[in-house]
Amino acid sequence: MAAVEIRSLTKRYGRSRGIEDISFAIEPGEIFGYLGPNGAGKTTTIRCIMGLLRSSDGEVRVLGQRVKAGRGTMHARIGYLPGEFRIWGRPRAGRSLSMLAALGGDCGAAARRRALAERLELDLRRPVGDLSKGNRQKVAVILAFQHQPDVLILDEPTAGLDPLMRDVVLRLIRETAAAGAAILLSSHDLSEVSAICGRAAILREGRLVELSPISQIVQQGEQRLKVWFADPTLRPDAAVARLPGVRVVEQEPGVLHLAYQGPAGPVLRWLNQFAVDRVTTPQTSLQEAFLQYYQEPSDSACGAGDSKGLRA
Amino acid sequence: MIRSRRPSFPLTLLWFWFLRVLPAWLGMAAVIFLMQVAVAAIVHDNANVKIFLTILKHLPSIVRTAIGGDLVESGSMTALLTVGYQHPLVMFLYMLYAVGVPVGLLPGETQRGTMELILSRPITRTQVYICAAVLSLVGMFGLIAMMFLGTVASVHLYTFSEPIDLSLFLRLSACAALLAGAFGSFALVCAASFDRLYAAAGLAAGFLTLNYFIAIVAEWWPPLHFLHKATLFYLVYYSNLWYAWPIDNMAWLAAILVSLAILGGIIWRCRDLPS
Repeated sequence: MAAVEIRSLTKRYGRSRGIEDISFAIEPGEIFGYLGPNGAGKTTTIRCIMGLLRSSDGEVRVLGQRVKAGRGTMHARIGYLPGEFRIWGRPRAGRSLSMLAALGGDCGAAARRRALAERLELDLRRPVGDLSKGNRQKVAVILAFQHQPDVLILDEPTAGLDPLMRDVVLRLIRETAAAGAAILLSSHDLSEVSAICGRAAILREGRLVELSPISQIVQQGEQRLKVWFADPTLRPDAAVARLPGVRVVEQEPGVLHLAYQGPAGPVLRWLNQFAVDRVTTPQTSLQEAFLQYYQEPSDSACGAGDSKGLRA
Repeated sequence: MIRSRRPSFPLTLLWFWFLRVLPAWLGMAAVIFLMQVAVAAIVHDNANVKIFLTILKHLPSIVRTAIGGDLVESGSMTALLTVGYQHPLVMFLYMLYAVGVPVGLLPGETQRGTMELILSRPITRTQVYICAAVLSLVGMFGLIAMMFLGTVASVHLYTFSEPIDLSLFLRLSACAALLAGAFGSFALVCAASFDRLYAAAGLAAGFLTLNYFIAIVAEWWPPLHFLHKATLFYLVYYSNLWYAWPIDNMAWLAAILVSLAILGGIIWRCRDLPS
């Protein structure tokens, strides 16, 4: 059984676009990346999962239970870290966290809260209003993890953290997933997503345009080829850019950096006319693959039944 | 499939909000209580009453109406004690509590972003609304109780030249509690309908102020007497409760209170939060 299951989820805000026909599932123990630029609909999806927004169509199930807006469905077993984390400024961090834990029964959260605070080097006795942005983010991380949830919904969990703390949080996410929790990670830091997520979904204008393992997303994007010509002054003609699926990334005397989609044959045949000194194939990053989705026309969106689509 | 349990009532949230509201409540309760004692301190002495009535005669007629009108000018000590119940400062404090608490708790938490955290826990929206409603309405009733206790304390502290009928003040307090509750329920509807604190507070305070001024102007200016019945204050008008319990009017106020409180709950439950 999937820990989180979303089927044909649609949310409209009057005439303005929200999300349209989103479907995916997250298995226990999986870290699932949820990507998209600002305004793509990530937060809307997350709020529908949390039952904060009423969906216009489709359904969300968490741990097999259908989410109904405002009912607190399975929330005792969900850890939530909102994208814009704001908490009461005057009470001590520990007091606010214990109050929120107590709303779910507080079964052993106090000990875990202290352990997490120690690990994140956070003083829970200080009022949240006195904490720096990074330390407030640590409070958000503790809030999400303190009750040992089976499902974690994390929206930008490492925003504002220094690189050392970022590593601590990423380790914590990995450990929690290894213990069997299903994790949805929404982040703009694509290196972070590619480092810890097994699969990812990419949203564009409220629609899912990709849902695949990270390695596949990277591979099915453009391939790179960097060529050093024997003649260091050579500047090949522009014909290469006219080959189907090929574009010039960078060009300088004696060096050509190409990106191509599909088979390499036409590019290699074109290169055959020059004396080539050296060729490398730089790895495409998730960031480059991600950016391609925003350079393509928007009619390539895929729905639930798409071949790239839903994993049961 | 794992069954979700119905979330138990969030007493923790109720307690957390109670502690936030408590300092303001204590301050208002103290002022309202002391106001009754202060009024009694003035009116228990016949010489003071004469001075008070002389001052009253020099005030603009609309101000006289605002603090009791014909009732106060009658010079009866019981009537003069009701000044503490109708004084604009007391009215302002009730309005502040009636509007401030529901608006501060519902749109206040929503605008602050903390409502999202509260609702991310196993708690239903209805439970959150009930917590806000309990603190609003029980707090209002508590303030009215402090007002009545102020009168009771005054009657024991001072000697009056005529007997003071405390049952009249009990009737007055009960009706005032229902009136304050009805206004508190209207503020709950506003609080449940808006994300923005100032929009909710503005509408609720506007409704209360409009009711209050229409009631005063309608009583002060005879051509507008017909408007008196258009306000909720008519249901606690002194002539309606001076000699007996105004059961019909109290039933109306209770019905308005309950209906508005339920309407607010329905709106709160059906809305997207935060939108």
